[in-house]
Amino acid sequence: MNELIEELKTKLIELLNLSSLTPEQFDAKAQLVGGELGIDSIDVLEMVVMVDRDYGVLINSQEVGEKVFASVASLAAYIESNRAGGAT
Amino acid sequence: MKQRLVYVAAAGIVSPLGWGLDETEEALCADRTAIAPLDIFSPLQGQPLPAGQVKDLDSSPVPPRAHRLAREAARMALHGQPEPPDAIVLGCTTGGIFTTEEQLRNKEHSPDGYRSHGLLSLVEDIANLCHCTGPALTVSTACSSGAVAIALALNLLRTGQARRVLAGGVDSLSRLTYYGFHSLQLVDRNGCRPLDAGRQGLAVAEGAAMLLLTTEQIEQPLACLLGAGLSCDAYHPTAPHPEGKGARAAMQAAIEDAGLAPEDIDYINLHGTGTPDNDLAEARAIASLFASPPPLSSVKGAIGHSLAAAGAIEAVVSCLAISRGLIPGTVGCRQPDPAFAFTPEMTCVQRPVRTVLSNSFGFGGNNGSLVFGNLAHQHPPLPSSREAWLAIHGSACLTGIGLLHETFARLQEGGSAGGRFPDADLAQRLPARLIRRIKRLARIALLLAGEARSNAEGQDGPDTVFMGTGWGALSETWDFLQGLESSGEQFPSPTDFVGSVHNSPAGQVAMLLKATGANVTCSGGDYSFEQAFLAAQTLLPETGQSAMLLGVDEAHAEFTPLLDWSIGTGDLADGGGGLYVNRDREQAKCLARLAYYGRGGGDDLPDRLFAALGGAEYFHRHSVVLFAGVPAAMQAESGPQLERLQHLIGHSLPVCRYRDFVGEFASASAIAAVLASQCIETGRVPGTLVGGADVMLGPESRVLVLGTGQCLTAMEFFRP
Repeated sequence: MNELIEELKTKLIELLNLSSLTPEQFDAKAQLVGGELGIDSIDVLEMVVMVDRDYGVLINSQEVGEKVFASVASLAAYIESNRAGGAT
Repeated sequence: MKQRLVYVAAAGIVSPLGWGLDETEEALCADRTAIAPLDIFSPLQGQPLPAGQVKDLDSSPVPPRAHRLAREAARMALHGQPEPPDAIVLGCTTGGIFTTEEQLRNKEHSPDGYRSHGLLSLVEDIANLCHCTGPALTVSTACSSGAVAIALALNLLRTGQARRVLAGGVDSLSRLTYYGFHSLQLVDRNGCRPLDAGRQGLAVAEGAAMLLLTTEQIEQPLACLLGAGLSCDAYHPTAPHPEGKGARAAMQAAIEDAGLAPEDIDYINLHGTGTPDNDLAEARAIASLFASPPPLSSVKGAIGHSLAAAGAIEAVVSCLAISRGLIPGTVGCRQPDPAFAFTPEMTCVQRPVRTVLSNSFGFGGNNGSLVFGNLAHQHPPLPSSREAWLAIHGSACLTGIGLLHETFARLQEGGSAGGRFPDADLAQRLPARLIRRIKRLARIALLLAGEARSNAEGQDGPDTVFMGTGWGALSETWDFLQGLESSGEQFPSPTDFVGSVHNSPAGQVAMLLKATGANVTCSGGDYSFEQAFLAAQTLLPETGQSAMLLGVDEAHAEFTPLLDWSIGTGDLADGGGGLYVNRDREQAKCLARLAYYGRGGGDDLPDRLFAALGGAEYFHRHSVVLFAGVPAAMQAESGPQLERLQHLIGHSLPVCRYRDFVGEFASASAIAAVLASQCIETGRVPGTLVGGADVMLGPESRVLVLGTGQCLTAMEFFRP
């Protein structure tokens, strides 16, 4: 799980071009969307694409999305419990 | 000068609902929907999504689908007209993209395959078709393009710059828009249900519509175009302001421009795309402006969202409402959203309609509203004494070697400033957070806007933004299409789609500078900056508003050589210029006007330019320096044009061929404009630019920035 969180931090910094941030500074529990990083609905869609492409996990409703993208930790937990062969 | 009444003399329409006014009326009256699974191309993944596709359109790739649609609508609007229009204004977002996509997939490496990609090719095609020799302009403001084009046409007519204008919008279906809206999760798999409680998005569509607008009094017009209002949310790249602040401002401005009050409106044709956010924001805007809203509806459940064509198609629907007495239903809506303070018309109603307000909103928070009325509703003419010139208070440019200071210094040394300013240096000059999601074109625009803004000391932030770009956001467009293809049409980037629209940079500038007024992007190849200049000159009010006027292009290593014929095997160059302008002469650094814009390749173009400037007398009265724009691909046309002009002038003038110094790219003339302004301000043209001694500029001196080739244009710069 921690490994996945670290992996996601690195991926998100690149995907969302958060160039001022290092993985160490990236708080996995901090509010992701609408927080200090300026991440909004367009970034959420970009993350939806990445999660589908890289982990085969679909997030296709706004309600689910809001919960999943609350923080890096919640995103990791959702991927972990939904990906094929993942923890059930 | 009296404000002139503008009549809709005729109209043409090609939409998924049908061809021409009669078929359109019949489909509207029958509450028919034309939305059906896409079939002009086969998606690799999943079932085709619902889309609005024009039937019976020849599907060969040349000319592109958008050009075919535009030709049909133009033919209808001009049928039986004895003379060509004086000007054309067409809204379009993606030009010949559908053919470009095919060529890229086929790995076509010759620029021959991409001749009809740009928006200029489209409007020039229509201008050739109808033998128009005046300005043929493009407006590319995403989904409000058609309405904004009509608003610009209205003001060309009111200011007496034209008597007859063909105006409208066109877009064809394409992979870019089909997958782009899908990537934003804005497509409703169940077809489009505007204003419905369960609405889940739009249906991407295509079409074209054009109005022949005239100030010549005619007996039986379809309707009168009474007013237009433009605004920008300056809030978010895609999401509307949640309270519909910009939408309200545009509606209010349009109604006031028409000399009416909200209670005078008989019917509102909503933007009503069927996305949850748009319909809610629009409903809130209406609730805040109308104490008791008139009947209203959206036709997008019948037609789909035809993007740049939508505003023009709905302008035709508005004219039908007035001339044939009908209010269309909101096809697709079954259960109106109880969150709204009104209930839309569900089915078509036959009843007299005197006035219509028609809304179009787009990415970049770009809003345009139009008001149409019948003859009985013509308002008393208002005085309009709009001056042509713009007062320049601040400027900035970016070349391969840097900003204005570095550029001017290099030119004075006799060097060249052409090239591509390094990406890393560009990023360093802008806050990381501001540019996180945007690529090269929007970054250049933001840098220029910020610099020109701070150069305009003592002035308030600009209210409006006018931008010209020859080719738009090539990085985002290229990356989106590459991502689409390389992922087997599964994972294109939503961020790239949002950034790919031509007006994305101008929307970013509006957010940076909080410019909530008109926001107009033109994309006219080598004449893009001139088109934006003409739009600013025409739309900027006499008092109380200022504008950021930009011309920007980015050079893309793969895409640019395919599109821009002037590059050839030469080096890539890009950048642009920005001018902070208003109408206030006090403390202005320079005055400027677009003195002439002609096209059509006729041998008499230089003669018409000469006459427009004032003929021989002009060149006796003023000492003139020419900054000549000669695109490398246009030498054969440009050479004789310049020779003829020199012959008419009768004596030789100092000439600077500015592309020799700033490189070959579409909006190089924006840099020339900034340099011209700088020369006027300092009273001197460096001798290195004109191949001789320094030229001193006095109060009567003029610098003319000429565009030559396919079109012939002149921007005039002089001391206040």
